[in-house]
Amino acid sequence: MWTVASYVIRQKLAGRKRYPLVMMLEPLFRCNLACAGCGKIQYPAHILKRNMPVDEALKAVDECNSPMVAIPGGEPLMHPEIHKIVEGLIARKKYIYLCTNALLLKEKIGNFTPNKYLTFNVHMDGQREHHDFAVCKEGGYDEAVEGIKEALKRGFRVTTNSTLFDGTDAKSVRAFFDEMMELGVEGITVSPGYQYEKAPDQQHFLGRDSTRKLFRAILSNRKSSWKFNLSPLFLEFLAGKREYECTPWGMPTYNMFGWQKPCYLLQDGYAETFQELLDSTEWHNYGQASGNPKCANCMVHSGFEASAVNDTFGSWGGFYATVRATLFTKYRDAEALKMLDEPVHSPAGLVQLGVLKTADESRETTHA
Amino acid sequence: MTDEETREVLEKAFDYRGDVTIAFKDGRKLECYIFDRRPGKTLQDSFVRVIPQNSTEKMSIPYSDIAGLAFTGRDTAAGKSWEAWVKKYWEKKAAGEKNIALAPDSLEE
Repeated sequence: MWTVASYVIRQKLAGRKRYPLVMMLEPLFRCNLACAGCGKIQYPAHILKRNMPVDEALKAVDECNSPMVAIPGGEPLMHPEIHKIVEGLIARKKYIYLCTNALLLKEKIGNFTPNKYLTFNVHMDGQREHHDFAVCKEGGYDEAVEGIKEALKRGFRVTTNSTLFDGTDAKSVRAFFDEMMELGVEGITVSPGYQYEKAPDQQHFLGRDSTRKLFRAILSNRKSSWKFNLSPLFLEFLAGKREYECTPWGMPTYNMFGWQKPCYLLQDGYAETFQELLDSTEWHNYGQASGNPKCANCMVHSGFEASAVNDTFGSWGGFYATVRATLFTKYRDAEALKMLDEPVHSPAGLVQLGVLKTADESRETTHA
Repeated sequence: MTDEETREVLEKAFDYRGDVTIAFKDGRKLECYIFDRRPGKTLQDSFVRVIPQNSTEKMSIPYSDIAGLAFTGRDTAAGKSWEAWVKKYWEKKAAGEKNIALAPDSLEE
């Protein structure tokens, strides 16, 4: 917290209008899952085979110089030298969120040493059935949980990150939060899914109103045991309690193509240097206010968490709101409680896992 | 191709998630993935940026050097809808399969 606070304040004192908060470093696009909602892995084989060299990754990190580095992908644990990239980041005192589906975590964890700068951020999309269906792999949840347990046993910092899509059962998400806290993870990250232009699944992403309603149901009447690894103001934004405009430069993305314009989610070209990204991107063409239809429904953390953090340190009002949101986390809301009992809106074609189970059981009953 | 057609085709090629084959005006051909395009005022100062199939180096190619383009590689985003996954899941379930999963694409070209 202090690292982020002092960094943001330094940027403001220096008069920097656009500064990075978390660099998204994608060292490869290859993955060992094939999730239908993912738009990150659809590339020809010669692209998927490539691994970013360690020195290139570290050079980009030095250039960006953000206090935190998230390493998504692809699956970063498939990178043969990911531990060397992590070592280089620790040497630079960067807070690292290594985003993994954890399928390889037990196998690869010996390559890492517990350190306050390193957190395994495990992708978990909900309770067992929901997660398995979202990642298109039965047994995926159990493997990930095994990985989490192993990492915790060895003394690593572990958080989870969840992407929620249309048709998500808010009650189940809340039960999932309980499960993760009982496992002993340090915090939970949650974000609505973004409708990637290239994601194979285009129908099941959340619009803004649906997002606010879903997150209001999930995040109101909060249990004190839940710990979120997110700005409290970003959580309020998700639940429809405040408005922000996107800060796409807040979480810039670097991968084998270069610095991605304009953000982690859209691909409107690439810059060769971070400075070129800042200088050459036509930022006014992005964000909800721009009218760009690609941005209309986006409320994703990579665009808006930096906005929330900027708000915290940008005004006394923002700071006060953050203190209040940190101290008073209950968010009592009777209407939101009722929402939990509403039938889940399931758009055509989206199969809820609860429904799957019921169908299965009824089939068994019929056979019997 | 007119200048406008060239720009349109190259914009489509930029959006395509498979390899393309670029035919140059001097007769050469290049199989590559287009990861960026930088349109300028003229074809001479407009570029596509590519990674060739047999190289790791990025290349910039002026639009004005390009005679034609073919979408020769498989569209890696095609045929992977949620509905396709649900259908496949039920088929496998009905066939009595366990540990049902979608496998990532093969890395063989």
